[in-house]
Amino acid sequence: MELRKYILREDEIPRQWYNILADVNLNPTLGPDGHPVSPDQLAPVFPMNLIEQEASTERWIDIPDDVLSVLNIWRPAPLVRAIALEKALDTPARIYYKNESVSPPGSHKPNTAVAQAYYNKAFGIKRITTETGAGQWGSALSFACAQYGVECKVYMVRVSFDQKPYRKFMMSTWGGNCIPSPSNETKAGRAALEKDPDTPGSLGMAISEAIEEAVADETGSTRYSLGSVLNHVLLHQTIIGLEAKKQMALAGDYPDIIIGCAGGGSNFAGLAFPFVQDKIHGKQIEIYPVEPAGCPTLTKAPFVYDHGDTARYTPLLPMHSLGHAFVPPAFHSGGLRYHGMAPLVSQLVDEGLLEPKAVKQNQVFKAGVLLAQTEGIIPAPETNHALATVIDEALKAKEEGKEKVILFNWSGHGLLDLTAYDSYLTGQIKDIVLSMEEVAECEKVYADFPKPQHLKHK
Amino acid sequence: MDDKDIDKLERRCPRLGSKISFRYCLISGEDDNPCWKIFDCWWEYFDVASYLKSHLPAEVFEQLAKKAAAQPKDKLSSIVEIAEQAKKNKE
Repeated sequence: MELRKYILREDEIPRQWYNILADVNLNPTLGPDGHPVSPDQLAPVFPMNLIEQEASTERWIDIPDDVLSVLNIWRPAPLVRAIALEKALDTPARIYYKNESVSPPGSHKPNTAVAQAYYNKAFGIKRITTETGAGQWGSALSFACAQYGVECKVYMVRVSFDQKPYRKFMMSTWGGNCIPSPSNETKAGRAALEKDPDTPGSLGMAISEAIEEAVADETGSTRYSLGSVLNHVLLHQTIIGLEAKKQMALAGDYPDIIIGCAGGGSNFAGLAFPFVQDKIHGKQIEIYPVEPAGCPTLTKAPFVYDHGDTARYTPLLPMHSLGHAFVPPAFHSGGLRYHGMAPLVSQLVDEGLLEPKAVKQNQVFKAGVLLAQTEGIIPAPETNHALATVIDEALKAKEEGKEKVILFNWSGHGLLDLTAYDSYLTGQIKDIVLSMEEVAECEKVYADFPKPQHLKHK
Repeated sequence: MDDKDIDKLERRCPRLGSKISFRYCLISGEDDNPCWKIFDCWWEYFDVASYLKSHLPAEVFEQLAKKAAAQPKDKLSSIVEIAEQAKKNKE
């Protein structure tokens, strides 16, 4: 019988996170005045220990025992050989995945939620606020806060709050206080309700309420928490790849190809960064962040400094972008656009250490359904982007007759996101791909912007 | 597609992660104006730009078009901006 799962014992869990900032140079986040954003600007929002982590260039950062003891509830997460998928594809490729769907909230998100709750507690913070859309991040943070006896307040956009009661129930069960936004608990919320008591709310309003509550607490015992994009979030996620390295060794394999979906960057970075370190030191390995073809940020856009808004008020961040004045093809002929990739992921693409891929929507859900029917777990819609590329690569290996080893991140299950599957299965999802000509038009807006240095790793 | 059909349209919101109606997108932006992603999300379904142009006051449409054409704010910088605004409100 072939082994399906490679399991580490609890005492084999990695004891340190890998900080890729020790091995790569990152252009700084610039403020409106052109100077880097300072820790003082962030201090009312995040605890200082996390702000220090955000800027740290130490290669290895110890994972506190109190964090490990909570992560051990579900970690080390299994490394699984996707034997049924291999058979379905009749490929010579050996396909492995890290199963991050086994966490209590069902995704990779508690890897950082637990660490953030711990560091807030250590800094003396008594309450953490956050916002949530569909409730995935709010669930992860509620779970994490419960482990450390920290209060968790989640502002959930009212329209989702009403539609998705199960996420609220999860949060409440873990002791999180999930309230619909706008609420009567902040100035921003009260103003919105005064205007329209029946407003369905918005993500922007929920973020404003969560941050306002943290900043307005005169005792200084409340902070805000974010679950994606930032350096310290990516750092906490590296436990995924560090475990995977040990487990691949148990399997007697090493990946030729690493694949992860790249939304805000954190689940991709979690698996990939420890292998990027190997690549920097000479390993032959291909690493693919995958994004939707209809809203390309990494696959087609240039690397530039770009403004956050047309008023040019916000800081300049080095990132792959379609440009602040990108007009979606909808204005010409239709199109999608998405920004917000983690700057660290953008930097590694710029250096050529990562090779981004784009996949079409129908391809994405077709892959998700195949994985559900072979490996059994219904994947989160985001995970499906990685799966589509895994299938492409496995079929390529078949054509070439090569025994490639593919490793990907199964970032979460989709059990609370089944309407997306319903849309696919009832033929409501259409494909979109921007042409290079359309992207070239968008690039003209960068002409006057300062260009970041094309830095190389250390 | 006429207005009646448009009123029935629904899709998964990429920001919220749940199913919403086109009507929601029309009011879920700043100051109850349309969401800045409305063009991105609905162009596949119908000619949303023409629809908005004919249904919104000219200045609202122009503002929305500018916002849609702009890159959304980086998360970290947005947070700093909101925090500074909240501090000012407190004072």
